[in-house]
Amino acid sequence: MKKIHIIGIIIIAVAIGAILTTLNSTSTYANFTEAAKSPDSEFHVVGKLDTQKEMVYDPKLDANMFTFYMKDNDGVERKVILHKNKPQDFERSEQIVLIGRIEGEEFHASDILMKCPSKYNDGKPQETATK
Amino acid sequence: MEYTGEHTYIGEIGNVFVILSFVFALLASISYFFAARDNEQALSWKRIARWSFRIHGISVFGIVATLFVMLYNHYFEYEYVWHHSSKTMQMRYILSCFWEGQEGSFLLWTFWHVVIGFILQRKAKEWEAPVLSVIALVQTFLTSMLLGLYIGSDHPIKIGSNPFTVLLRNHPDFYNIPLFTNPNYLQNLDGHGLNPLLQNYWMTIHPPTLFLGFALTVVPFAFAIAGLWKKKYTEWLKPALPWTFLGIAVLGVGILMGGAWAYEALSFGGFWAWDPVENASLVPWLTLVGAGHLMLINKNKGQSLFTAFGLAILTFILILYSTFLTRSGILGETSVHAFTDLGMSGQLLIYLFAFLFLGIFLLLIDKKIKIQYAIASTLFIILIYILGSSSFHLKMFTVDADIPFRIVALFCWIIYTGYAFVKSSTKFLPQSESGKEESIYSREFWMFVGAIILLVSSFQIMFNTSLPVWNKLFGLHKAPPTDVKQFYNAWQLPFAFLTTFLIAIGQYFKYKDTNIKEFFKKIGLSLLIAAIATALISYGLHYSNPLYILLLFSALFAAFANAAYMIQVFGGKIKKAGASIAHVGFALVLLGALISTSKKDVISQNTSGKSVESIGKDYSDRDNILLTQGDTLPMGKYYVAYTGNHTEGFNTYFDVDYFLKNAAGKYDKQFRLSPLIQQNPNPQFGNAAEPDTRHFLTFDVYTHITFYDHLPDLKATGKKEESKDEYAAAKNVTMAKGDTIFSSNAIIIFDSLSTQFDKTSYHLEKDDIAVMAHISVLDVNKKYQATPVYIIHNNSVQPIASKVDNLGLQFMFWKINPEDGKVDFSVQEKKSNIRDYIVMKAMIFPYINILWMGCIIMAIGTFLAIWARIRRAA
Repeated sequence: MKKIHIIGIIIIAVAIGAILTTLNSTSTYANFTEAAKSPDSEFHVVGKLDTQKEMVYDPKLDANMFTFYMKDNDGVERKVILHKNKPQDFERSEQIVLIGRIEGEEFHASDILMKCPSKYNDGKPQETATK
Repeated sequence: MEYTGEHTYIGEIGNVFVILSFVFALLASISYFFAARDNEQALSWKRIARWSFRIHGISVFGIVATLFVMLYNHYFEYEYVWHHSSKTMQMRYILSCFWEGQEGSFLLWTFWHVVIGFILQRKAKEWEAPVLSVIALVQTFLTSMLLGLYIGSDHPIKIGSNPFTVLLRNHPDFYNIPLFTNPNYLQNLDGHGLNPLLQNYWMTIHPPTLFLGFALTVVPFAFAIAGLWKKKYTEWLKPALPWTFLGIAVLGVGILMGGAWAYEALSFGGFWAWDPVENASLVPWLTLVGAGHLMLINKNKGQSLFTAFGLAILTFILILYSTFLTRSGILGETSVHAFTDLGMSGQLLIYLFAFLFLGIFLLLIDKKIKIQYAIASTLFIILIYILGSSSFHLKMFTVDADIPFRIVALFCWIIYTGYAFVKSSTKFLPQSESGKEESIYSREFWMFVGAIILLVSSFQIMFNTSLPVWNKLFGLHKAPPTDVKQFYNAWQLPFAFLTTFLIAIGQYFKYKDTNIKEFFKKIGLSLLIAAIATALISYGLHYSNPLYILLLFSALFAAFANAAYMIQVFGGKIKKAGASIAHVGFALVLLGALISTSKKDVISQNTSGKSVESIGKDYSDRDNILLTQGDTLPMGKYYVAYTGNHTEGFNTYFDVDYFLKNAAGKYDKQFRLSPLIQQNPNPQFGNAAEPDTRHFLTFDVYTHITFYDHLPDLKATGKKEESKDEYAAAKNVTMAKGDTIFSSNAIIIFDSLSTQFDKTSYHLEKDDIAVMAHISVLDVNKKYQATPVYIIHNNSVQPIASKVDNLGLQFMFWKINPEDGKVDFSVQEKKSNIRDYIVMKAMIFPYINILWMGCIIMAIGTFLAIWARIRRAA
């Protein structure tokens, strides 16, 4: 066997390894109902902030805990406990992606991604106030 | 309606330039194609081609100039100008506005291609025609992205997006808005403006550098295509080499510049986050490095030529693929970088596949294989079309989904392509003499292995970054790994170890064969020093992870071995030692990345231990800490105090002082950091926080505001001072006798209840019940008494408040719980009492300067190597 063949086999093995670990270590996009079925696994849950319900961030008590309510894309709502600071411009978020798991009745998120209209859509042209 | 004040003529000028640039790029490509043939007409074709490319280039410059004039003069009637600039913005950011949008960034890319093309027209000699034919073809595709044509009437197909023809009032998003009923609408119109996050010098220097790097990858691609086409399989290497290494230097610097930007001005908390957009530019750089090194071997020895061709072509294809990933909006949720879809993803895909097929087809140099491949590919395309959307169910590993048959067909086609490549590579010239294999002790063998490691490493990054693409193709719902950084690091650390190890030993091998005794004699000292240094540093940094120790060793080994090589072989002659210097630089980049990332210390960890029990689980990244004005908290070796904030323009700066305790036990102020929060006048952009970092030689202290509640209202005109006299929201407490609570300025103790007291002032009636609570309020100097009263009058509770004016406190007595005798109070504090606070994050990045220094050394070394090569050629 030539050296080039050995190298070739190693490459293919590593490449397959890379594919399999990627598929295995990925999280899954899910809704709250699916996440509740397997409380041991981490999920990405996409949804919208419920602005009607209370949002609690009291940094004096705990600067790394923020609670709010989110409706997932199927309309199921849950209390979310984010183990981080309250993100900048949180109320303005159009869409939220939570990363975490269900514990009891609440969704515990270790991280959050937000889509803000500021970055994705743009305002309409307006007349500026003339002085 | 007639609108006044619009400058429609300038758009027409710009549009003419766009059309000219497209038409002449096409003409240049075709005429260069004919000029590259060896016949009598070639010369006259060449004349046409040269002039066409010149006109194309001048038109591109014209487009750039026109757009610039429009931005400079605030012609907001054009959507692009309105969208990306405003009058309130400072003029020095006008370049940033230019390339903030997609059209502008494509234009920047096109512009660099023209500059490169003009140089090649003068310098490429016999390669001019075939190489520029390829570049002009690329330019045809790129300029078509600016055409803004609509084909068809019912559901028009959009070709390109043209900044000169899209007027704001005609833009579909703003159709029918009342502003445009005013013929004089321009008079009071201001632009949407540039996102303030992008209003810094990084946005001025990072995109042009990165795009120049992207543009430079077209040169090895065009030369490789030209080499295959003209069957000059090795001659292309020499003229393409300096360009390839220039691309490596510029793209490398561009990528690290993005890292520096993220580190300095954005809130990533690091210089590299494995974000899809970062990966999309890193991967082509890795393959370009592989291509460059293989081109070097082939120039010297003539082996692994097929892989050199493959990587040179792949790099450019990957640039196109990255463009598709970042511009089509497909990355959506997985990236922090914002890109909107301009509806050109289809067009980008067509270009991607066009160049992919061109590359594949030319790489199959044997005529028979080409014909077979063409027939098989056609059959596959027909098969995929026939199979349509029929699918089957697959449950394997973590995959559990319906998989369409056409995807299977696609896979078969990919495997077949691989097979055709293998077959073609054996036919490739020049074969190693009489089938003799490369010696394991030869430099070319290890350089080849290195290039392959880079290829596998980029495959791993790209496969994972492409997850959204796989989701779309397979109908999956895979999300990125929960800890992305850890996932990539686990894979890339071993690759980095192997690469740096090869960098260390590579130059000590000779071409063809090496005397192994001499090899060890020369490298021995570096190996020894590296081993000792690794032992000392691992001990000093308390490394226990074997991968960290390995990478630490290999990076140090690479740095020492290349420095030693420079002295041993080149006698310290810097001019000749470009490659060694660049390798030292690269090793330092990895060394700095390893130490600063692995020993990153979040010193703002919440040490209070509060409410962790209530969660029941340990959430490790408790990185934020509350810092009240006037308090001093220990963070790492520092004592940190928040002393106040001040507002300048849109920015509110928070002064955070760092102290060290000296021998006498006193606090010595070391430095002040002023991270800021920007409140944007345009509410569309929201607020943005920017960190502040103090740089020391051996470490950086990074501070970032993550939450602040009382941003000044920039629009408010009147003074709001009087509100400080108001009481803030009440805090309700339940206390038993002897219980203690804290207000922000005092200790509050509930002493007792009494019913015997002077009730005359309360106007009580016969059946009323009145109870008085005795509360002690202690501040540092004095003890005060508060006596709120609880009255039940006609079966309703009427509390009488008690104030401690000196401390700005007010108490109310609401309820007595009969079962346990506890009482409910509410405590209110005057707003002036409540001290300001911030929630912040602080980190220490040790030895990050090694990384930046490595980057500069790598760039200098590469430029030296290019310079030496150009001089030797001249």
